[in-house]
Parts: sequence; C-alpha cells; structure tokens
Amino acid sequence: MENKLHSITDNLSFDFDVIRKEDHYLHISIPRSHVVEMLLSAKQIYELRTLQLISVVDRIEDDLFQLTWILEDATGVDIFILSAEFPRKNCIVPTLGDIWETAIIFERELHEMYGIDFPGNSRQKEDFLLEGWKDIPPLRRDFDTLEYSLRTYGERREREHIDPREYIADSTGEWDTPVPMKDKNNE
Amino acid sequence: MYCNEVPDKPDVRKKIWDKVDNMARANSLWVTAYGTGCGAIELRPLYTSRFDMERFGIAMRPTPRQADVLIISGYLAVKTLKRVIRVYEQIQDPKYIVALGSCTMNGGMYFDSYNTLNILDKYLPVDVYVNGCMPRPEAIIDGFSLLISKIKSGDATGWIHYKENLDYYRENQKKIISDWDLPDYNW
Repeated sequence: MENKLHSITDNLSFDFDVIRKEDHYLHISIPRSHVVEMLLSAKQIYELRTLQLISVVDRIEDDLFQLTWILEDATGVDIFILSAEFPRKNCIVPTLGDIWETAIIFERELHEMYGIDFPGNSRQKEDFLLEGWKDIPPLRRDFDTLEYSLRTYGERREREHIDPREYIADSTGEWDTPVPMKDKNNE
Repeated sequence: MYCNEVPDKPDVRKKIWDKVDNMARANSLWVTAYGTGCGAIELRPLYTSRFDMERFGIAMRPTPRQADVLIISGYLAVKTLKRVIRVYEQIQDPKYIVALGSCTMNGGMYFDSYNTLNILDKYLPVDVYVNGCMPRPEAIIDGFSLLISKIKSGDATGWIHYKENLDYYRENQKKIISDWDLPDYNW
C-alpha cells in the first residue's frame, strides 16, 4: 500500500526539494509564497492535524530566515516537515492562527525572539518571555549577548583559584602526598 | 494589599535584648518555598528525609509572610528578579538571603546571557553565598550553619543594609527592570 504521507508531493504544481524521506517521515522545502496553501492542504487532505512546532534558523550568511513547520497526524506516527526561506530584513511571514490556534503562541515567541512579523496575528505584540525588552530581538545572530550582558549587568567578578595542596596545608599544617595504589602493591 | 511607604530605618544592632532575639531567630529559620533557578533541585533532598534540614530547625513555608529566609537558588533572570524583589520585601523583618551557585556570584555559565544577571548583591543584600554548580545539600547545610552563626553574632544584617541603602538598590533594580511597575516598597 502506498504511504499516504509520500503522496503529498505527487500533485504539487510548484518546485520543491525533498530534504529527507523515510517510511513515516517527509521533509520538503518549498517557495515561501506557497506555505499557507501547502499547510492547509496537509491538514485538510492528508489529515496532519497537529502543529507540533514552528522553528527558525537565522542564516545570517545568506541573509535569510529559514522557517520550519512540523506537523503530525493524530496518531503521532506520520511526521511532515515543511521548510521555507524568507528574507531576513523586515521579515514578514503569513500567520497560521486561523488554521491552528497554537500557531498564535509559537508566532508570538518568534516575533519576540527574532523580530519576525506575522500580520494578522492579533497577539504577537504581547510580551511572551521577556518583559519590556527594548533592544534588538535577542536570538538574532547579530545581537551580541556578551556585549549586552556587560553593558547591562556589569563586569563579572573574576574567579579565585585556590590550590587544594596549599588550602589543606594551611588548614591542617601539612600535606601528605598520597601513594598511588599501584606503588603500594609493588611494595 | 501592600504598604506603599518606605519603611523606617531600624535601630537594632547588637543590643542586649537583640542577643536573646538572635538566639531564638537562629534556631528557627523558616524558608520561603520559592525556587528561582536550577539549584532548587538540590533543595528537595535537603528538606526531605535524606538530609532532613528540620534537624537544624529549618523548615519550608508556603508564603513569604511566614518566612525569614529567601533562597536564591541559582541563576536569576530579570523577569524572576522582579518577583523575587516583591517576595523579599514582603518577608517580615528580620530576613536573610542565602544565594546558591556560581550564577549568583559572577554569572556562572550564564555570564554572557541576555537575561540573567551576573552579580546578585547589586540588587538584593545577600547574607551567605554557597558556591558550586550546583552546591550539594551538604554544602547548603554548611551555608546554613554559617548563616546561623552570623545571626547569633548579630552580623546577619543584610535586611538593615537594604533599608538603609534602599535608593542604591532601587536604582540598580530599575536599571535592568525596564517595565518597573512595583510600589516603592511592598511589605
């Protein structure tokens, strides 16, 4: 019997790349203009009803954000992963809030951590993890966390190193070098 | 409900009656059950049968109103700091802070993080630091025994220092909490 998951790619009218294909696993990459259409059909026609996650990779070298949507069917056996690339500057991605309610939460997080705009997501401006954040979004790779930490929280204290031999000698008055087990046996 | 007025500066330091008070305080330490970071995982064996901290008169309380001690258990995010300030100020005087782990001293492994602070005593008065990542329950017991001896000798005066230097602490706190919406002092 033909795997239902693999038939997703049979009738696609646009270019796509298969990144990985296994028995119950399909990962494809498609042009960004077809994302909503593709995900809607995956839910309605191929019964991949659960949106597990939306993730982002910041490919600063290519000036791109790569977004990935992970879908599962009701049994959790079939996994369908869809990737698309979006320009990094003023990144606008269509919202999936009308298709999956959980997408509203995921998109809020991505808006806060990467500054990606999801027009139509009414709650994306609400604070998610950070409260009152004013700098550039912290998970973008052009955000320098060390510089921000030094500027905001100040220099950290240096570590003090204490040699165990000196410490024990100071507290007990002497340091007996332990004899290794091997030498003991030889004796 | 809270009082919005800055508290009076206490006038109690090493008087005769304070020695009696301190003796009683040192033998009955009640800790707010509030874990701020990963170090809270070491508190479970500490207050259950394995290490049994009730031997030392130390018990967990569910509310800051009944507690004397606040344990900052590991890294402290800015978002958590806001709640910790509120909890600390609601604890009745006298009150003590025990800080666990490298993160509270110099940022530890999160020294370059965008949302964890590096040096705790810029924001709250710490009476005892327990080092380690994470400190074992034995180390925390050792820290508590140091706190007990400091209370008995009248040297655990972080709470007095906090009230006397409230402007200094507030300035530091407001510098990193950008959406400050706490009252001047909530107690």
